[in-house]
Amino acid sequence: MKFGWRLFVGISLFYGITTVIYALWAKEVVGIVALILSTCLAALIGFYFWFTDRRLGSTLPEDNLDGEIADRAGEQGFFSPHSWWPFVVALFATITGLGLILGWWMTLIGVAALMISIMGWSMQYERQ
Amino acid sequence: MAASTQTHEQDSFHASSTRPNLVAVGTIVWLSSELMFFAALFAMYFTTRSVQGPEVWAEYTERLAIPFSSLNTTILVLSSVTCQFGVFAAERYQPRRNGSLLKISGWGMREWFALTFLMGAFFIAGQVYEYAHLVIEGITLSGNAYGSVFYITTGFHGLHVTGGLLAFLIVLIRTSYARKFGHKQATTAIVVSYYWHFVDVVWIALFASIYLVK
Repeated sequence: MKFGWRLFVGISLFYGITTVIYALWAKEVVGIVALILSTCLAALIGFYFWFTDRRLGSTLPEDNLDGEIADRAGEQGFFSPHSWWPFVVALFATITGLGLILGWWMTLIGVAALMISIMGWSMQYERQ
Repeated sequence: MAASTQTHEQDSFHASSTRPNLVAVGTIVWLSSELMFFAALFAMYFTTRSVQGPEVWAEYTERLAIPFSSLNTTILVLSSVTCQFGVFAAERYQPRRNGSLLKISGWGMREWFALTFLMGAFFIAGQVYEYAHLVIEGITLSGNAYGSVFYITTGFHGLHVTGGLLAFLIVLIRTSYARKFGHKQATTAIVVSYYWHFVDVVWIALFASIYLVK
């Protein structure tokens, strides 16, 4: 992640400098706010990558110039094998959105069903 | 080569301890996109403010109840602190309290998160109360430009807090189902705390620009 954090901190510095130039030049608050938050966007990712890199404390295969593809082998994380829940969530998100056009009663039903389906999605592997 | 064969002490947060936690990295990248969502709201707020002129703003910001919203803000900021204590408990794999409910030092992740949930719910209830008062005083969503930007910015933030409350509920239910509290449960608790801190920081910025910068 060494390359990662340097990249994002670099982008953040670029946005920071741009913000200062823009602020001196345009003297207009909307663009300044947008540029400050763009700086924060890159800084957030950059900081987190730097922090994670430090926390792991070892050179990751992607930072090793002599690294091999095989070095990345091992557990990557948990990935859902198969699930219908995202479809259910998308369906009720659609109904919630449609309700804004067709009538509030539809949105209310949609929001309630959306909450239940989000719970179903996030708890599908832990139900007893 | 060398990195993957080294054995590391098991870190609660990184399952294989030589790889970054994908869920956490994904959450941070998503939160940075959320930041741009709020950037659009801030830009909208400041555009409307500069187009409408200072008189309109002076007239309506007079009606905001600063002491009440300051109390509400303090509750939300403190809920971030309690949330972090929950994360510390999750990092030592302690889901439940050891001892009585009054012994705060023995609290586990669930007790801290339940307290955070209550504080977040207090914030939302306070916001609804504040909205009701402002509507009575004539600031409505469709009434004028000030009302529109006020309710859209604070309302979207309120929806985010409500989403966070749902996330806390999911964490509490999941950890009550899980037979043992492990790396996976700790990750869930930690990424929810990232989201909560993010929403909190956004509120501080919103509060400063809507209530304080008149």
